[in-house]
Amino acid sequence: MVRSKRQKQFDSFIVNALLILVCLVSVFPVAYALSTSFKGETEVITRPPYFFPRTWTIAAYEQIFRSDLVRYHLWNTFVNAFGASILIVVVSVPAAYAFSRYKFRGSNILQLVILALIMIPTLTNLVALYRMASQLDLLNTNLVMIIIYVATGIPFGIWILKASIDAIPTEVEEAALIDGCGPLGVIRNIVIPLALPGLITTFLMEFVFYWNEFLIAVIMLSNNTMKTATVGLLDFQRSYEVAYHVWMAGSIIIIAPVLITFIVLRRQFFRAMLQGAVKG
Amino acid sequence: MRTEVIAPAARTQLRSGFHFRRLVPLWLLLPSLLILLFVQFYPTAYTIYISLNRLRAGQMIWVGTANFERLFRDANFYESLQKSFTFVAATVIATVVLGLLVAVLLNQRSRFNPFYMVMLFVPWVISDVVAGTVWRWLFQQDYGLIQNLISPLTGGTSLYARPQGAMLIVILATIWRSLPFTSLLFLGALQHVSQEVLESAALDGASRFTSFFRVTLPIIRPTVMVAIILATIGGLNSVGVILTLTGNIPATETASVYLYEQGWRFGDFGLGAAISIIMFLINLILTLVYLRFQREE
Repeated sequence: MVRSKRQKQFDSFIVNALLILVCLVSVFPVAYALSTSFKGETEVITRPPYFFPRTWTIAAYEQIFRSDLVRYHLWNTFVNAFGASILIVVVSVPAAYAFSRYKFRGSNILQLVILALIMIPTLTNLVALYRMASQLDLLNTNLVMIIIYVATGIPFGIWILKASIDAIPTEVEEAALIDGCGPLGVIRNIVIPLALPGLITTFLMEFVFYWNEFLIAVIMLSNNTMKTATVGLLDFQRSYEVAYHVWMAGSIIIIAPVLITFIVLRRQFFRAMLQGAVKG
Repeated sequence: MRTEVIAPAARTQLRSGFHFRRLVPLWLLLPSLLILLFVQFYPTAYTIYISLNRLRAGQMIWVGTANFERLFRDANFYESLQKSFTFVAATVIATVVLGLLVAVLLNQRSRFNPFYMVMLFVPWVISDVVAGTVWRWLFQQDYGLIQNLISPLTGGTSLYARPQGAMLIVILATIWRSLPFTSLLFLGALQHVSQEVLESAALDGASRFTSFFRVTLPIIRPTVMVAIILATIGGLNSVGVILTLTGNIPATETASVYLYEQGWRFGDFGLGAAISIIMFLINLILTLVYLRFQREE
């Protein structure tokens, strides 16, 4: 099966063309949202619709910056997502280390149970969690969101982190243990630096997930000052019937921080993922 | 299995603290286990309890299996399950097939252009609610950009106006959002397929298609299973995209949306909990079936 040079060039052309097509499809809805967000209120209800604004205006953003979305919701989203992601990593690293390095009775069963928790949908526990939160008077707090996010994020965190800790050679740790370093010291001084791409990947995935989380938030948060951005956006849809440019500006404001975080951390993320951070 | 973490020399030193050392994994696991116990296991048990009760004026009244009986007589619930099934089947199949295709395309290249990769991952960083909002705008019946392009095909009517049309939009938006992650999962697996195996297959005269289906696919099968499980669970529990895209019209009322409606809009927690339990069992059975398939290898 020797392929000629021309055949190879043709293959590579097809591959590139298809990849560009996939990228365009991926970006198109967001690009259109971005361009719509710079349109004025008459332009969004013009038929037939067109892509770029005829006159560029930031009217939609002015409206958004005066809204509760920017005043409260984005900050709440950040507090919940950032707090939960950090805590998930902090709690999952020792657990993943224990599963990776120690052999103890019940280890396999426990790992299987934790893995199974990933398969249990958030939806299953929501009725009970709502009742619990309302009895503990925790509805409409950042605290309840962080607690639930941490609990739903830990299984996935342990799963990814164990894979990246498994990939670290044990020799250095053994030397450190001989030198009288305790397990926590080993984790702090050796495992965390060596597994950093895995840690960053875990943080990034949890952060993206909880920044975008909607279902738990919409159920636990009814107080306007405590809502997160995704819940606020749904309110927007309901209160501004045809102001699509304002919807789109709101969407862009919600996308921007998490997209920037992704672009900053993408290298570690892609490396960890391609090394098989999430595997069968 | 790495049984021995501690080198023999250190072991004598630590022998006095043997019992403590055995407890080390427990201490390391304790924070996670406590959180999971109180915020995952306890709520699941509590859900089962609620599903056997009816809430009246804040009081729990034991009703046995009445909620489940009500549910099994409820035609709307069966319909919502059917819609869930259509939705999950379509999104899982399309995501896995397209994901494999994109991964194979990316795998043809020796290095990845970071610009492409970021563009490809834009849908992944987007919330389902934002995705729903953006796609709703594309298909808006009067001013939607795509709706206007396709309106000659649909006879001028909005795609939303037809039940299958609304479902189609929800499915497309969901595939769009889940494709990047699935592709990356597959790409990671493809990069671990040894070049030698593929070369020897090529020497045996296997075409690229045969070698993909006969050699590559069996090797990456565990990853395909993981992707299928994740996409299935994601699909079964999808609420945000549907709520924002179609605004809970009957045509797209899947079981998860139905649960949301019953539990929170109508405040019927007993019925909501009963639906949760059924959904949980469906998730569990599907997961076990997939794992079984994988084990058979």
